Amino acid sequence: MAGISIRNLVKSYGSFTVVPDLSLEIADHEFVVFVGPSGCGKSTLLRIIAGLEPITSGELYIGDKRVNGVPAAQRDIAMVFQDYALYPHMRVYDNMAFALQLRGMPKSDIDSRVRQAAAMLHIEAYLDRKPKELSGGQRQRVAMGRAIVRNPQVFLFDEPLSNLDAKLRAQVRAEIKALSQQLRTTMVFVTHDQIEAMTMADRIVVLQGGVVQQYDTPEVVYERPANQFVAGFIGSPTMNFFAVEWRGDAAVFAADATPAPLDDALGARLRAAAGKAVAGVRPEHFQVVSANASGIPVQIKLVEPLGSDTLIHFEVAGAAAIARVDPSLKPKPGERLFLKPQPGKIHLFDAANGRVLP
Amino acid sequence: MTYAAYAVTPDRQRAELATLSAPAVLFTLAMIAFPVVYTVWLGFHTFSSTGRQSFSGVGNYSRLVADHEFWHGLWVTLALYVLSLALQLVLGIWLALLLFHAKRLPGIVRSLFISPFMMPPVVAGLMWLVILDPSIGAANYLLTRVGLPPSDWLASPLWVIPTIAMIDTWQWAPYVALIVLGGLQSLPPSVYEAAQIDGASPLTTFRRITLPLLLPTIVTATILRSVDLLRFFDIIYITTQGGPGNASNTLNIYGFRVGFEFFNIGYASALMLTLTAIVFGVVLAFNRLRGAVAW
Repeated sequence: MAGISIRNLVKSYGSFTVVPDLSLEIADHEFVVFVGPSGCGKSTLLRIIAGLEPITSGELYIGDKRVNGVPAAQRDIAMVFQDYALYPHMRVYDNMAFALQLRGMPKSDIDSRVRQAAAMLHIEAYLDRKPKELSGGQRQRVAMGRAIVRNPQVFLFDEPLSNLDAKLRAQVRAEIKALSQQLRTTMVFVTHDQIEAMTMADRIVVLQGGVVQQYDTPEVVYERPANQFVAGFIGSPTMNFFAVEWRGDAAVFAADATPAPLDDALGARLRAAAGKAVAGVRPEHFQVVSANASGIPVQIKLVEPLGSDTLIHFEVAGAAAIARVDPSLKPKPGERLFLKPQPGKIHLFDAANGRVLP
Repeated sequence: MTYAAYAVTPDRQRAELATLSAPAVLFTLAMIAFPVVYTVWLGFHTFSSTGRQSFSGVGNYSRLVADHEFWHGLWVTLALYVLSLALQLVLGIWLALLLFHAKRLPGIVRSLFISPFMMPPVVAGLMWLVILDPSIGAANYLLTRVGLPPSDWLASPLWVIPTIAMIDTWQWAPYVALIVLGGLQSLPPSVYEAAQIDGASPLTTFRRITLPLLLPTIVTATILRSVDLLRFFDIIYITTQGGPGNASNTLNIYGFRVGFEFFNIGYASALMLTLTAIVFGVVLAFNRLRGAVAW
């Protein structure tokens, strides 16, 4: 087993730089998720770790071994691809046994490893089938089985759940998480789905433009986002943002100069930032209050009942916003109510560069 | 009137379909079925020199079984078929791999690679006739330049079949390459990345991944070339007319000579129907194989 160390890594395609300068330490046995929007460089980074893409400059270590230029097969890694990449002409058994056969492993050892992995993934019944005879979920398991039999130092997953339907995705997500706890192997998982990142990761790497925006535990990334990009990317529905200013002796919404509900501490931070900032409140951190509790008056534009809770859409100072409320309120479009951010749940970001205000 | 009154009943739909498709069906029957049926009919008849026809039953087919020239023609046809097909598949796959991996090859070079099969067979035949001419041809000139003895090529009973196979391979291997290239381009790239991670060498990847995945495409190319090769006529007729002696006298050439040089239309029809049956048999066999190798 091994950790991964990425030091000052640069990846360019001609004059186009995908990863400008990235350093990252992934600990042994850690489950790290790379998350970010399309084109942020997360898959490129995974493919670099796998040895499928060369490094332009910088260093990459797997365990103690510097692996720049080391062929993929010699890195002792296993990868699960987005489209599973099963060998379509081989039976499931042969798909799983292929890498071991190439290593020259005795047949009996191959057989025992394949059957052990198949049992772990509940695919024993499909060993004689070809991939085309399997469902998406079963193929996904075979792809994982193919990785497991190799007993690698590092597992790499490239958006492996994106081809599955929502129900199956949740099921396989849980299975991969359970597998990681069972195997105790370093795992790197790429996804654009922040729910997958939150639910599976020990630590999340949020990427944008090939730059690490934040690298921390899911709880910290959610509770204390490093910047406005992370705050907007993690969480569903996304965090609400409002431009706020310090005018005279009070905080106001910049658009219409109506009072913004910032406490003294936040007011001080706003003043320290030349009186301009972006306030962020997650939909679940609004509470419905009575008219005399100095809440923000809003008119409901749209209601989305989700069963366990209800989303209401409204505008604050001209900006569209969403709040998650108790379904027992039974809100209706057109109704007016008062919302107040929960104490300590307002985030302030620098209006110019998006960094969280100290 | 309600909308339901306009609804088309299944019977009416069937009648409309039959009426509308009848002209096309009749035309197709006339163009395909009639010549076939007529040839079958001819195969059961003999024709005198004055043009009188008489029913001969399976006489033409009995004659065929005892005809040494038929068995020789069949042997020549199959020898040419197996040799040409093997050469075209091996070279076609090799060329396809070359074109697939040489992605930076200019378009004009790619076009040149695949241009021979666009040349009319008569032109190709005449061109090779000149190249292979024992006294003034470029082929023997090149052989002697590198210290090898000159060959009789098309004039040698021993070499005529390999030489014709070589000419046909020159013309049609690029066609096979084009089909195989299409197959290669449709293979999922991630499978190759998986093989790379699994530790497969380039040779192992070709043997264990590429070739099995290409098999359905290769069988398709084999079927297309089989039909052409078993009915091979044009280049042989241009270059040797079945000679020297009867060394390149394929079934098709033999049938043509029986029909149009000896005017034995009934026997020629029996020969051609037999050849057609052989082509059908080979195509059916490969079609089954294509099902078996599909992934």
